Amino acid sequence: MKKIIPVIIMTATLACVSLACWLKPHTTYSQSERRPLASKPELSVSSVVSGDFMAGFEDYTADQFPMRDNFRSLKALFSRYLLGKKDDNGLYSAHGHLSKIEYPANAHMMDHAAERFEYIYNTYLKDSDSKVYLSLIPDKNYFLAKPNGYLAIDYDKFIADFRAKTDYMTYIDIVPLLELDDYYRTDSHWRQEKIADIAHLLAKSMGTDARCDYVTNTLDHPFNGVYLGQSALKSAPDTIKYLTNDILSSSIVNYYDTGAAVQGDMYSMTKAHGKDPYEMFLSGSSPLLEIINPNAASDKELVIFRDSYAGSLAPLLAPAYEKITLVDIRYMQSSFVGNFLSFDSQDVLFLYSTTILNNSMSLR
Amino acid sequence: MIFSSIPFLYYFLPIVLLVYYAAPKAFKNAVLLFSSLVFYAWGEPRYVFLMMASITASYVTGLLIEKYRGRTLSKLFLIVSVALSLALLGYFKYADFFIANFNAITGFSFPFLKLALPIGISFYTFQLISYSVDVYRGETPAQKNIISLGAYVALFPQLIAGPIVRYSDISRQLTSRTHSFDKAWNGCRSFVIGLAKKVLIANTLGELCASYLQSTQSSLAYGWLYAIAYMLQIYFDFSGYSDMAIGLGKFFGFEFSPNFNYPLISSSITEFWRRWHISLGTWFRDYVYIPLGGNRVKRGRMLFNIFAVWFLTGFWHGAEWNFVIWGLYFGVLLTLEKFFFARYLADHKLLGRLYVMFFVIISFGIFAADSFSSALGNLGAMFGTSGQAVFSAEFAYALRNYGFVLTLAAIGATPLCKKLWLLVRNRAKQRAWLDVLEVLVLAFLLIVVSAYLADGSFNPFLYFRF
Repeated sequence: MKKIIPVIIMTATLACVSLACWLKPHTTYSQSERRPLASKPELSVSSVVSGDFMAGFEDYTADQFPMRDNFRSLKALFSRYLLGKKDDNGLYSAHGHLSKIEYPANAHMMDHAAERFEYIYNTYLKDSDSKVYLSLIPDKNYFLAKPNGYLAIDYDKFIADFRAKTDYMTYIDIVPLLELDDYYRTDSHWRQEKIADIAHLLAKSMGTDARCDYVTNTLDHPFNGVYLGQSALKSAPDTIKYLTNDILSSSIVNYYDTGAAVQGDMYSMTKAHGKDPYEMFLSGSSPLLEIINPNAASDKELVIFRDSYAGSLAPLLAPAYEKITLVDIRYMQSSFVGNFLSFDSQDVLFLYSTTILNNSMSLR
Repeated sequence: MIFSSIPFLYYFLPIVLLVYYAAPKAFKNAVLLFSSLVFYAWGEPRYVFLMMASITASYVTGLLIEKYRGRTLSKLFLIVSVALSLALLGYFKYADFFIANFNAITGFSFPFLKLALPIGISFYTFQLISYSVDVYRGETPAQKNIISLGAYVALFPQLIAGPIVRYSDISRQLTSRTHSFDKAWNGCRSFVIGLAKKVLIANTLGELCASYLQSTQSSLAYGWLYAIAYMLQIYFDFSGYSDMAIGLGKFFGFEFSPNFNYPLISSSITEFWRRWHISLGTWFRDYVYIPLGGNRVKRGRMLFNIFAVWFLTGFWHGAEWNFVIWGLYFGVLLTLEKFFFARYLADHKLLGRLYVMFFVIISFGIFAADSFSSALGNLGAMFGTSGQAVFSAEFAYALRNYGFVLTLAAIGATPLCKKLWLLVRNRAKQRAWLDVLEVLVLAFLLIVVSAYLADGSFNPFLYFRF
């Protein structure tokens, strides 16, 4: 073959991709990665001299690359099947599940989380009549990683170490009730329809009863979990199921995102059809919210210090309590908690996933 | 700017190629100089003026060296030119090293300058020195056109990580060079292969090295795996960059000499250094070792010459003692080979290859560090000085995760693939489909590399720090 043809083919490839880069309309948000994409940096003398323009342009061109999701998939497939990588950016698939390697255990992060909990205990709970409980949720690597040859933290040791640092709380062990299928295949969270037994155990351990009959509803919208977008691999989406009954239907949820109470739904159908359908449970991230059950058999109250896992679990504790308050210290300074809550004789539950404890800098 | 980035591949390069080929012959060097300054300023907006000042100084001293050829003044201007280049290199690269050691010895506490290292200064300084020396020796006439000299020094394909192109090698090409589809195709092939070596292999091995550095379970096996992975990463990173530089050079009509020739198959350390970073080795040979007398001197003086060269080679790679030790380590091995067992190694190739692998892997345990103490840490991890376990779960996972890439890299570091390809080509009756296959494979590699870059899998070149 004359070399003119290969040169033309390669030049055409370069030119086509270049033109696509230059002409592609700007995209502001990546649905698959659930993040805003970089925009074109401001061009000025100071931004050029400082190098900010160049750094911003590198990010911009990577984020705005034409057909970026397809290219990310190509990269994931190449890495997996042609380079033989077992994980791609820490993400792996096994037994039909996608997950992200959580390794190694970070003692510094664990200490930070323990220090935040101790601060809350010493500031608000120590001198109250509240009973304080701790329960830890292992991420799904607990069931998935080691049997499939992936690195995983020593969860039993991790939990034991954390319990030792928080020995002023009564620990409720929910691990024996959990199994891999209790988690979504494409997401990190657990499935609400699988954790009614967990809610029952927690309530029972706190001296009350949350047993209830539920109707299982299926969301008419596919759930592409966080790992599906991050991994860029093709996989069937999950299905979200959510539990309802008369008690939950008559309960009132007050959200305090802006300070004043705004009444909302237990399950937000707007969020269910949004960027992250898991946020349908108690509307996702919220620094402070309460679930009021006007039909409660007792006047018991529960305060849950929590992460996102509690969003789907807390509704299942509603039958046992007149009022459940959920506090997320990722979105509220621990020192502000006293401005909104006073502690006297409530049950107080710290319910956290090992993922948050091992990456705890967000706890404030 | 680096080659393995979207701004370079899909913004800078197409525009430069377009403007370069559209420009009349008389302006091609000006296009190259201007685009090279933009390329350099992208990563170092301030230091571009430092480089321009260096070029101007060498341009003026070059003219003066030539004007006073045969007279003392010529030597004086040579000394001025070399001293100026070395002073800039010393100030920006080595000042804090000297301050730290001076403080340690004397107890003073002079503050550090904390200067950012101008990218590529080690490379372009050596090119400028070679220019002045070559003009002084009369091996090449001084360049009268500052744009042509600037294009030589700042030429973006080889500006920031070599190969160290000597002026005498391309002086003629600066004024008269040819462009052809054959040359462009060879350049294209070299560039894409280099890009794939860097992005697909070196960066993946870089992930393994990063995992090791964050590991919590030290083990002998993991220590060795790290050293091997680092050696292969450096090889694919640096030789990939050289391939890209050579390929880009061909796009613009230049012919740069190869910088690597499968060094990891060497059966002696002497051979290894004839195949690894060839342009640096030959630079030190021609501008340091031979001027010092080379090996045509008494044995004691020859030993001094050898160790001076290897001290400087190590020191050139970084302003830390571990790099000096790394250079002297090779000096010792080369001396032992020279005086004792060069012939034995020549007669026992397989044993020689194992010997080279063993000592080169250890050398990269030293090289991978950023200080003498961390070099000792790396060696300690390889030889079990802390009583660590032989294996660990982290090692087992790293081997599972990167075993195939390591195998690919090990095979790719030998001429096996190239030989097989040539064998198939030579035996094929119809070569057309092989040509088509080659184009398709290269286009596919370019697309896959783009996928890696779009995903944000990005690592700067390791040799930038040198």
